[in-house]
Amino acid sequence: MYPKELEKILLNVQKPGRYVGGEINSVVKDKSDVEVRFAFCFPDTYEIGMSHLGIKILYGAMNQVPYFWCERVFAPWVDMEQRMREEGVPLYALESGDPVADFDFIGFTLQYELSYTNVLNMLQLAGIPLRAADRHDLFHIVAGGGPCACNPEPLADFFDLFFLGDGEEVDLEVMELYRQCKKEGTTKAEFLRRAAQVPGVYVPSLYEVEYHDDGTVKSYTPKEGAPARVEKRVVLDLDKAYYPKSFPVPMIEVVHDRIAEEVLRGCIRGCRFCQAGFLYRPFREKGIAAIDRQCRDLCASTGYDEISLSSLSTSDYSNLNQLIDTLHQWTEGEKVSLSLPSLRVDNFSPALMERINSVRKSGLTFAPEAGSQRMRDVINKNVEEAELLHTVDVAFTEGWNRVKLYFMIGLPTETEEDVLAILNLGKKVVDTFYQNKEKPKGKGVEVALSAAAFVPKPFTPFQWFGQDTMEQLRQKQRALKGNIPSRRLTVNYHDAQTSFLEAVFARGDRRLGVVLEKGVEMGFHFDGWADCFDFDKWMEAFAACGLDPAFYANRTREKDEVFPWDHLDYGIRKEFLWEEWERAQNAQTTPNCREACSHCGAACYKGGICVAKR
Amino acid sequence: MQSVETVRVWFRKAGAAKYISHLDLTHCMGRALKLSRLPVWYTEGFNPRIYMTYAMPLSLGVAGERECMDIRLTQPVPYGEVADRLGRHLPQGLEVLGAAAPEHKLEETAWADYEIALEDGDSQGLREAVTRLLGREALLVKKHTKKGEREIDIKPVFAGTEVAPRPGGLLLTMRLPCSPSGSVNPSLLLEALKAYENREPAAQITRLRLLLEDFSEIR
Repeated sequence: MYPKELEKILLNVQKPGRYVGGEINSVVKDKSDVEVRFAFCFPDTYEIGMSHLGIKILYGAMNQVPYFWCERVFAPWVDMEQRMREEGVPLYALESGDPVADFDFIGFTLQYELSYTNVLNMLQLAGIPLRAADRHDLFHIVAGGGPCACNPEPLADFFDLFFLGDGEEVDLEVMELYRQCKKEGTTKAEFLRRAAQVPGVYVPSLYEVEYHDDGTVKSYTPKEGAPARVEKRVVLDLDKAYYPKSFPVPMIEVVHDRIAEEVLRGCIRGCRFCQAGFLYRPFREKGIAAIDRQCRDLCASTGYDEISLSSLSTSDYSNLNQLIDTLHQWTEGEKVSLSLPSLRVDNFSPALMERINSVRKSGLTFAPEAGSQRMRDVINKNVEEAELLHTVDVAFTEGWNRVKLYFMIGLPTETEEDVLAILNLGKKVVDTFYQNKEKPKGKGVEVALSAAAFVPKPFTPFQWFGQDTMEQLRQKQRALKGNIPSRRLTVNYHDAQTSFLEAVFARGDRRLGVVLEKGVEMGFHFDGWADCFDFDKWMEAFAACGLDPAFYANRTREKDEVFPWDHLDYGIRKEFLWEEWERAQNAQTTPNCREACSHCGAACYKGGICVAKR
Repeated sequence: MQSVETVRVWFRKAGAAKYISHLDLTHCMGRALKLSRLPVWYTEGFNPRIYMTYAMPLSLGVAGERECMDIRLTQPVPYGEVADRLGRHLPQGLEVLGAAAPEHKLEETAWADYEIALEDGDSQGLREAVTRLLGREALLVKKHTKKGEREIDIKPVFAGTEVAPRPGGLLLTMRLPCSPSGSVNPSLLLEALKAYENREPAAQITRLRLLLEDFSEIR
C-alpha cells in the first residue's frame, strides 16, 4: 500500500496507478513474522517491470518461505521522482509502502546497460549510500542478477554481491545465509566472505584488479578464500524448478498484459551476436505436463485470457504441436488464447498460425538480422533468403499484407554492399507480394525495415570486436535511407548514440563506476528513453572522469586480452568463442545444438540438450 | 441468442483503485468476472469478450461510493452470490456493494452528487477564498474541447455548492449534470479556485451517487 502522504502527489502525475500497489495476488505479510525483507527493484517503469517474467518467478520463490518477504519496487517516472524529491518522500515498496531503506536486501535485476543510472538513482532515492564500502553494517545488502550480471564490473563498487545464472535457488540460499549471520551477529565482511563460497555468488569486493599501462586488465586476484572463477548457477530440471502459481496482476495496462509461461530455457541456435543464446546454455525444455499444470494454475489465479508461451525461441520447442493440442483441450472452452512471442522464418506455417493468436492479420514480424547471405553466415543466423521469401509468400496468401523485418547494421566484416542488401531483401519481399496471385485484394503491401546498431557483448564470439564508430554507423544509416528502392518500403533506425553507450557499459570495467556516479550526480536517469537521454552530457561526464568511452566501445581486442568478465564462468569456453570469432570472419556457419554439438563447454552442466539424444 | 439475464452490480471505487482509468477498471472487472466463474455472457463476434456496461465513467483520481455496471448471466445465480463471488477477486479499493435486477436504464442517469474534500495549511483562508469564489457573478474557466479551448461560465452549475468545515479543511458538496448527453466535471471548480484565488489545495473528489432526472437514485 502506498504511503498516505502521496495522495496529493498522485493526482498530479501521469499514470498514478503505477505507484499504488494493491493488485490481486500481491503478497502482504505480517512484519512480525518476517526475518528477512527483500526489495526487488526493477530499474525501469512499472509497466515494463511488471511485464518481466524473472521478477514473477523470484517474487514467488522468496515469498514461499514464511520468514522471507519480497516486495516490488519500480523506478518512478521523472514527474513522480521530481514530486517525491520535493515532498521528501523516499523510494518505497509497493506491498507495504515502507521505505526501501527498511529492507535487508535491495536486489536489482540488470536487464539493460542503460538502466544503470536508474539503479544508482533508485538507491539515492531510497537514501542508501551508493558505494558498498560506505554501507558498513550487515544490512542494506545491495544485490544484482539478470543478464548484465555477466559483466557487472561497471557496477562493482556499488553492489555487495551478484547472482550469476538462474536465480531460483541461489537467491534463497544467500537470504538464508544472511538470516544465519544475523542470528550469529557476524559482520557484513564475514557474511560476504561466506556468501562468496556459495556457487553462483560473485562478491566483487573480494577481487583485486590490476591494469596494464594501456588500460586493459592485467589480472583479477581473489582474496579471503573467494574462488578464482565464479560459476553461474543452472537449474537443470525445469519440471521440478519452482514456478509461481500466481503473480500480482497489474491494475493498469502493462506492456505484456498476459500470462507468461516459460516453456524452455536457453537456445539451440548459437547466433553469434546474441548474448542470451550463450548465457543461458544449456537448452532445457519443460515437459508438457508441467507446462499444462502451470498454465491452469496461472489462469485460475490471475483471470487473464491469454497465455504467452515464452522463451528465447519457442518455435524450437520440440513438441510444439503436441503442447498446443494439450493446452487446447481446455483453453478454448475457457476462452483463453495462446500466443508465441516470436517466430522464426523457418518454422512459420499457416497451420501453426491458425492455432495461436500471436499476430493479427495485419502485421507479421521476422528477424533475418542481416541483408546478405554472407552476412547472415557471419552472424550464424541460419536463415536462407529463399526461406524468408517462401514464408512471406505463404503469409501473403493467408491474407497478411504488412511485414516488419529486423536487421542489424555495424556487424563484423560488414561492407556497404551488405548494408544495401537489406534494401534488396526488402524489395524482394515487396516483389513477392506483387507476384503472389492470391494476395489480399485491394490492399497494398507495407514492408518496414528496422535497422538497429549492433552492440558487441561479453560471452559472445563478438566480444573481441570493436563496435563501428558512431560516424560509421551514421554513414550506413544514410546509405539505407538514401537508397530506398520502393515506396512500399520504410526504413527505421535508432540513433547510434545509445548503442555506443550501451557498448561502453556492456564491456566496461570497474573504472566506469565513477562515470556512473558522476552521471547520477548530473541527474541522469531513464537513459533508455529518448526523452531523457542526453549524449553530450554523458560525454561531459566521461571527460570529467578522464575516461575515453571509445576505449570500451570501439577497440578491437587482442586474442589473449584479459576481459573484466573472464573470472566469471558461464560454462562457455573462451577458446570456443574465439574459434567462433574466427569462423565468423570466414563466414563459416556452425550447426545448432540439435544438429550437432559444437563443444562450447556447456556440457559441463550435464543436462538439457547436451545429454539428450540427437 | 440464448436467454440471458441482466444483473446490475453496485461497487465502490476508492483507495488504490481510484487511480486507475475507466478502461483499466473494465479490464480488472473482466479478470475478476473470469476468476469468479460466474456464468457470464460473452459478446458474439470475432473476439468474444465478457459483456459489461457502465453508467458513467469516473475520471481518473475520482473515487466513487456507489457506481454500477451491468453484466449478463446465462444461468440464474442468486444476487448475493454474484456479489460475493465477484467481490473475492477484486484488487484493493474495488469493493462490490451488491447486485440486483436493474430498475432503470443506465442512460437515464442525469445527475450525480459529488463531494470535494479540500485541505491546505490555512483552512481559514481557504474557507474565505471558496466563499468569495462562489459569491462571484460568473466563473469563467477554460474548457478543452475537440474544437480547441473555449471559456465557459460554470457559476450556474456550481451555484448550489454547499460548504462545510472538516478537520484540516473544507468539504464541498454539489449536484452536477452527469448524463450521456453531457456532464460537468467537479474539478472545474478547482480550476476556478486556482484561476481566481490562486489556491491549489489538496483535493479529493468523490462521486457519492448517480441520480435520475427527478433526483431520485438510479436503481
